[in-house]
Amino acid sequence: MTVTTPSAAAREGVPAIRLRGATRTFAAASGSRYTAVQDVTLDIDEGRFVAVVGPSGCGKSTILNMVAGLMEPTSGTVEIYGERLQGINPRAGYIFQQDALLPWKTVIENVMLGLILRGVPRKEARAQGMAWLERVGLAPFADRFPYQLSGGMRKRVTIAQHWVTDPDILLMDEPFSALDVQTRQMMEAELLAIWSGSRKTVMFVTHDLEEAIALADEVVVMSAGPASRVVGRYTVDLPRPRNLMDIRMEPHFMELYGEIWSRLREEVLKSHERSRALGRQ
Amino acid sequence: MSEAGLSAGSERRRRGLVTTAQVGIAVLFLAAWQGLTAVGWLDPFFFSMPSRVLVRMWEWVSTGYIWRHLAVTLWEALLAFLLGALLGVIMGFILARIRILAEIIEPYIQMLNSIPRLILGPIFTLWFGLGVASKVAFGVTIVFFIVFYSTYQGVREVDAVVLNNARMLGASERQLLRHVLIPSALSWIFSSLHTSIGMAIVGAVVGEYLGAARGMGYLIAQAQGVFDTTGMFAGMVMMALAVLVVDYLVRQLERRLLRWKPAAGGAWQADAS
Ligand SMILES: Nc1ncnc2c1ncn2[C@@H]1O[C@H](COP(=O)(O)OP(=O)(O)O)[C@@H](O)[C@H]1O
Ligand SMILES: [Mg+2]
Repeated sequence: MTVTTPSAAAREGVPAIRLRGATRTFAAASGSRYTAVQDVTLDIDEGRFVAVVGPSGCGKSTILNMVAGLMEPTSGTVEIYGERLQGINPRAGYIFQQDALLPWKTVIENVMLGLILRGVPRKEARAQGMAWLERVGLAPFADRFPYQLSGGMRKRVTIAQHWVTDPDILLMDEPFSALDVQTRQMMEAELLAIWSGSRKTVMFVTHDLEEAIALADEVVVMSAGPASRVVGRYTVDLPRPRNLMDIRMEPHFMELYGEIWSRLREEVLKSHERSRALGRQ
Repeated sequence: MSEAGLSAGSERRRRGLVTTAQVGIAVLFLAAWQGLTAVGWLDPFFFSMPSRVLVRMWEWVSTGYIWRHLAVTLWEALLAFLLGALLGVIMGFILARIRILAEIIEPYIQMLNSIPRLILGPIFTLWFGLGVASKVAFGVTIVFFIVFYSTYQGVREVDAVVLNNARMLGASERQLLRHVLIPSALSWIFSSLHTSIGMAIVGAVVGEYLGAARGMGYLIAQAQGVFDTTGMFAGMVMMALAVLVVDYLVRQLERRLLRWKPAAGGAWQADAS
């Protein structure tokens, strides 16, 4: 059992998430191994909002899966608050890229699930679940089934579903990429509002650099795969609270964007060439 | 809004047309049958007549003669269904969760499933006698495979993302079974329920037909023995009616348990986003 509380860990200077030389390979065609990510070393301090960007297919989801404990590194380690992770990460919530709600449970039952699994009495779980549905603006839809909601609403339910269990770490895999621009901006603002009142550590994967800069304290750039690794870490020193409507117009935002994009662009081009070369074979 | 109203209206009209056509076909068929036998183009000795069949059914119902036969058949079917479905679900879950076992047993299951059931009738009569047991055994051999295959499929094809989501929310292996695997498999099992209940009834009737002292199959076989075509048809129609009623009940149950699935006709979308 973990005894270190988050704040104690922070005082000791232990990062919330520490990847040490994490490498992950997959079985590929004709018995060979495909190395998705190689030797990824990354510390993320408690309470930080870190965005991870990189060309598609470079291994961003793989990294989140390793931090979630759904996938073991082939070599290297994942440490959570100073302890080596084995099995599922009990301190992390995970907003998957795909739809992940349980289709046979209503919205409120989905949000209550994490509490029920922990043995919280139904009445109590329901009250907490409803409070979260209020916060994401979906209380009137509590008794609907997921198929009766739009994609954006389902994402908000998923966020409530994980935040209600009060995880110390929140992993988000391109959570808003499937949404239209308006819904997306609204949800980004909601996310920041919810996060800013907490001390939660967020690892936010996106392929949208603007989104990464607008939301995060730090942007981590991954190289093109195979054998992707961290090739850049950029601190985003834009003041908070941030006005997401206008932030993209600010000179410092554009400066940061230019700097990070010049690095990311290289990797995107490489990735593009590699997949074209593969296509020619 | 007006577009939705329009399509709802045309949908209603379409359904009205379907029902009218269905009833029309039945009436036409029965009228032709009645007419052809009445004028003597078809021999009523071989083909009976709808009016005679109806009278016979009325006799059976009003004297109460039919009930004990129908009850036996439905009882056998129910037992066969329950036993076959239970075994099928358990076996389906076990084999879906333990891959290596599935690989070992697979050829045997295929082999057993390919045995023509009719051959088993006399063997089961030999083993289990002329009573209820042999019919139940016969029905089980049919129901088991239907339910087994759909359960196996249902557990194997559970959405990996949903499963991982439940894991991240803190589900233990047992909780995964209760909250994810069983509900997921349930929809597959239900999709096979109509077929398997129908098959359980067919199994009971065929079993009785091959050798029994009561039941609908016995009734039909008796009628056949004395060239009583009216009795044969009456038995078949009674059986068909019973199946319709049972199927309706299953549909109601299914509607309740699978509320979370979008209706096949077209899911209605949420009004806000
Ligand atoms: N379970 C798996 N089996 C085989 N290959 C995989 C698996 N998961 C990911 N990969 C491969 O690893 C690479 C990285 O995948 P992923 O982490 O999903 O990338 P990203 O999220 O950055 O788009 C891809 O080439 C993908 O095909
Ligand atoms: Mg991904």
